[in-house]
Amino acid sequence: MAPDEYREPVPSFTFPRQTLVSLLVFAVFWEALSHLAPYLGIPPFAVPGLLKIARSIAAITPVDIVVTLARVVGALLASFVIGLALAMAMYRSEKLHNYLHPMVRILMAVPVVSWILFAVLWFPGVEFRIGFVLVVVCGPVFLIDTIDAMRGVPRELRQMMQSFRPTTYQFFVKLMLPAIVPTIFTSWKVNISLAIRVVTIAELVGAVTGIGHQLSVAQELFSVADVFAWTIVLVVLLFLLEGLLSRAEKRLLRWRP
Amino acid sequence: MSVLAPETQSGPPPIEVRGLRKVFRQATSGQSVIAIDRLDLAIAPRDVVAIVGQTGCGKSTFFDMLIGLEAPTEGSLRIGGKSPHDDFDYFRGRIATVFQQDRLLPWRTALDNAKLPLELIGMAEDEQNKRALAWLNRLGLGQFINAYPHELSGGMRQRVAIARAFAVQPDIMLADEAFGHLDEVTAGELRDTFLSLARESGSTAILITHQLEEAISVGDRIVVFGKSARLLADIHVAKWPKEQYALLREAIQSTLQNNAPDPRLTQV
Repeated sequence: MAPDEYREPVPSFTFPRQTLVSLLVFAVFWEALSHLAPYLGIPPFAVPGLLKIARSIAAITPVDIVVTLARVVGALLASFVIGLALAMAMYRSEKLHNYLHPMVRILMAVPVVSWILFAVLWFPGVEFRIGFVLVVVCGPVFLIDTIDAMRGVPRELRQMMQSFRPTTYQFFVKLMLPAIVPTIFTSWKVNISLAIRVVTIAELVGAVTGIGHQLSVAQELFSVADVFAWTIVLVVLLFLLEGLLSRAEKRLLRWRP
Repeated sequence: MSVLAPETQSGPPPIEVRGLRKVFRQATSGQSVIAIDRLDLAIAPRDVVAIVGQTGCGKSTFFDMLIGLEAPTEGSLRIGGKSPHDDFDYFRGRIATVFQQDRLLPWRTALDNAKLPLELIGMAEDEQNKRALAWLNRLGLGQFINAYPHELSGGMRQRVAIARAFAVQPDIMLADEAFGHLDEVTAGELRDTFLSLARESGSTAILITHQLEEAISVGDRIVVFGKSARLLADIHVAKWPKEQYALLREAIQSTLQNNAPDPRLTQV
């Protein structure tokens, strides 16, 4: 009997019972805390009730979500294209790799806050500032992951491909890019999470739209319910993007055993 | 721009190796290692040549030079007067290889793997499908064209690799220990298939092997490499009567062990 025949069929959907129970327990605890806050010496505005948070969620402006989403997706696409192009060039040229690799490592070590401050000091346009920060933070991650994955493509496959004498374009399109697709997906997953966090911080500084800006407004108004509402939106947004990515990954990597 | 190789006019070209030398410099110690030391060899069109030699004798380096992945340090290797290394693009679609492991692309189905070299020479997609399908059918894989490599057995995967190599209808067919990792029965079947396809298609076939039985059973000629690919013997198998194959095997074995030609090889 083949090993596969021992395997239990994998259900397409599993009801997330444990997740719902833990969320429910937390919600009950939070609601209780919001009622008990005055007796515990906690200011009432610091622990808003679930109803108040729900009202804040209902009042959320979709345009800010769309703006933040567009910034994240746009910057990630730009970062990916730049990272991939540079990785391909670095794979082709050992000299370029030796010059660029240390620089990229240095870029990755710079804290996000420093990039935001640089962006504010260097660029007048808000959109460009946010885009710059996102690309300079996410681009190196794509670049390093891609170049490492390219260098990890088995020598046997590269030799086989070379034996059929591909052009440089064919070599990348027929071998290298399909071979690194699993790594590209992992890199996207890491970068989506990173970009969501970075865009929020970047929008706090100078932006007049977006979730980060709304969080800043909520902070100025001492509205913890609004902070909660926008944070929930960010988390849901992250899960949605990751879900879309997982679907694409399943479809594109269906060849995997 | 199409990269389709022009039609071969009059069969495969001859292979001429003159004073071929390949020296590698070791990255760690900086010492030079002579992989191939002044090799002279001529292979006529449509010959089926088995190259035998001990591990590390320079067979693989010679193989890489035939493919064009390595340039000679000195001397020349010419196929029809052209260098497989310097005239890299010229040999697109003219040289194909079956490797020790199947080296199929795991994200491609059997059909897509067999089509790979046809895509590289810029063949029209309809023609690619037709030709790859015909070769897979011929190798008994008609039922498995949509299977991914991990869904196939080792023997089936190697059949796909053979289909991939023949699909491009090369002038020169190379096989590097292509059957050594398979069980005896499967290896024997595939060896016979490979040989009959090579003869039928009129390709020059060069097989690198460490198995003497394989070399004797498939080669018109057996080229025995000593250390640094020194040519120890060039045996025309047809000159040997079948009843003396055991003697031939012993003589080759002795040649390899002593790194010097066995006198029995010149008796026939």
